[in-house]
Amino acid sequence: MFSKHITSLSSAYFHDELRPRESQRVAEHLMSCTPCRADFDDVKLGAKFAEQLQIVSAPDSVWAGVVDQLDYKSVRRMRLWFVKPLAIAAMILLVIAGGLVWLRSNSNTGGAPWNVARLGGSPRIDSQNIEDGSKLGVGQWLETDATSRAEIDVATIGNVEIDPNSRVRLLETSSSEHRLELARGRLSAHISAPPKLFFVNTPSGVAEDLGCAYTLEVDENGNSILHVTLGWVSLQLIDRESSVPAGAACAMKRGVGPGTPYFEDASELFRTALSKFDFADNQSDQTAALAALLSEARPRDVMTLWYLLMRVSAVDRASVYDRMTSLVTPPQDVTREGVLNLDRQMLERWKAKLSIRSDPPQKKVHSFLKKLWAETLGRIHGYQGKW
Amino acid sequence: MLDQIVATREQLPVKESTDSRTIAACQQGDREALRVLFEEYKDRVYSIALYSLSGDEMAAGDATQQVFLKLMTRIGQFRGDAEFATWLYRLVVNTCHDEHRKQRRFVALADSFLQTSAGGESPRASYARKELAGRVQTAVAELKPKLRWPILLKYVEGLSYEEIAQVLNCSKGTVASRLNRAHKALGRRLSHLKNEI
Repeated sequence: MFSKHITSLSSAYFHDELRPRESQRVAEHLMSCTPCRADFDDVKLGAKFAEQLQIVSAPDSVWAGVVDQLDYKSVRRMRLWFVKPLAIAAMILLVIAGGLVWLRSNSNTGGAPWNVARLGGSPRIDSQNIEDGSKLGVGQWLETDATSRAEIDVATIGNVEIDPNSRVRLLETSSSEHRLELARGRLSAHISAPPKLFFVNTPSGVAEDLGCAYTLEVDENGNSILHVTLGWVSLQLIDRESSVPAGAACAMKRGVGPGTPYFEDASELFRTALSKFDFADNQSDQTAALAALLSEARPRDVMTLWYLLMRVSAVDRASVYDRMTSLVTPPQDVTREGVLNLDRQMLERWKAKLSIRSDPPQKKVHSFLKKLWAETLGRIHGYQGKW
Repeated sequence: MLDQIVATREQLPVKESTDSRTIAACQQGDREALRVLFEEYKDRVYSIALYSLSGDEMAAGDATQQVFLKLMTRIGQFRGDAEFATWLYRLVVNTCHDEHRKQRRFVALADSFLQTSAGGESPRASYARKELAGRVQTAVAELKPKLRWPILLKYVEGLSYEEIAQVLNCSKGTVASRLNRAHKALGRRLSHLKNEI
């Protein structure tokens, strides 16, 4: 006999769902246990009521409804047999198109705010101190004081360090263009991307990245100075443009635009003369400056003189050409007459011989493709390997 | 409704073995085979739907129709590793759950269940039986679903504890426990009618 109460077995006992021996022990327990017998009587009463439940015949209309529905479905299936494969094909196309758009848009991660990190002090974004996980959205200003510095991730193509006393705004970020505005201060950019993807606006002109590293500084008057450490940077303002190679610098003046690029190891006299030539207000100062430039120029400074060919009068152009040829030998198919007439093809051939491009184009393309592939692979598989 | 009653539990064999050839034919889309299965199970499916949907005959009819439509479209998934009845009642339970969720038609329980009549009885006996049946059905309908389903599967479908456990996807012990609670709940609610059974 059970030593414990058997109330949990009441229904099973009533329905004969217990094993014979178990059932016998429950029966013996019920004979001697008043509480369990009372509980069993409750269950039995409920069961007696439940036995009153009766089977009700289904209306005839149910089968008719089943047949109608089956007919409707089969007719619909016949009429629309093409819908399913069409929908599957459309879905596949949609997924492929979506994937391509996603890959394209994410290859340069357009649209999303840029990650920002504090490098020192208390840099701010729109008056809010930068903390872990801060982001710079389009239209937001990032500002550093005399003691603070910050680093911005330019989507996935590089980063920009913001030095003290600087003010920077994100103007645009998309798959085809990332653009900052440097109102004042200094930034150092390290970009690894196809040319013409990253731009920095300044009050005196626009710096267009050609795959490079550089420092750009804007003073309180809105004038700028660019120092290129790797690759090329193009400076532009309206129709004035200067391409600046690694190791060179170039000034920009508000209202004028980019000056003439020069190698930073040029003499102090050369650099001072160039500044006067680029930005002096009167003709006589420019003439004196040009004389000093030609006098101070080294073979390496022919790059600067090459730009001067297009920025001097026809009379002075001959002097510049002569000085250039005294320092380096021009390509065979480049003639004096052609240069003096600013023959574009000849000028470009001479420019190419001056090895103004630091990286061969094919190397840049190769590098870009490798990076794009690595980034795409990384997104799909979390691949972080290096090439 | 009482005149629609076709059989009591004792009169209707509740566990008829379903011909495997009928099922196989049904799996091939044979409507005649479906008709055979329909005739075999329609009343029990309709009854359980009716009791689980608070006596709403229209909803019960819709649910029964849905069960047999699903049977036709899903019978390909029946592999024979379970009793066909168990598989079918799982369809019934799920369909009634769905129907209950979307049910918007409100039917007063007592009114619906009490609209029963019986033939061949004296008016007084008929009334008494009608009233008792209505009270029981109302009390069952008012049980929580987890207590109501074991009662319906046991007393309408005549399933064993093991089969109920398979349909409801729970253990046999759980079925026993829920039936215990359901019985006591019914006993308490209908204790004033104990002299009428």
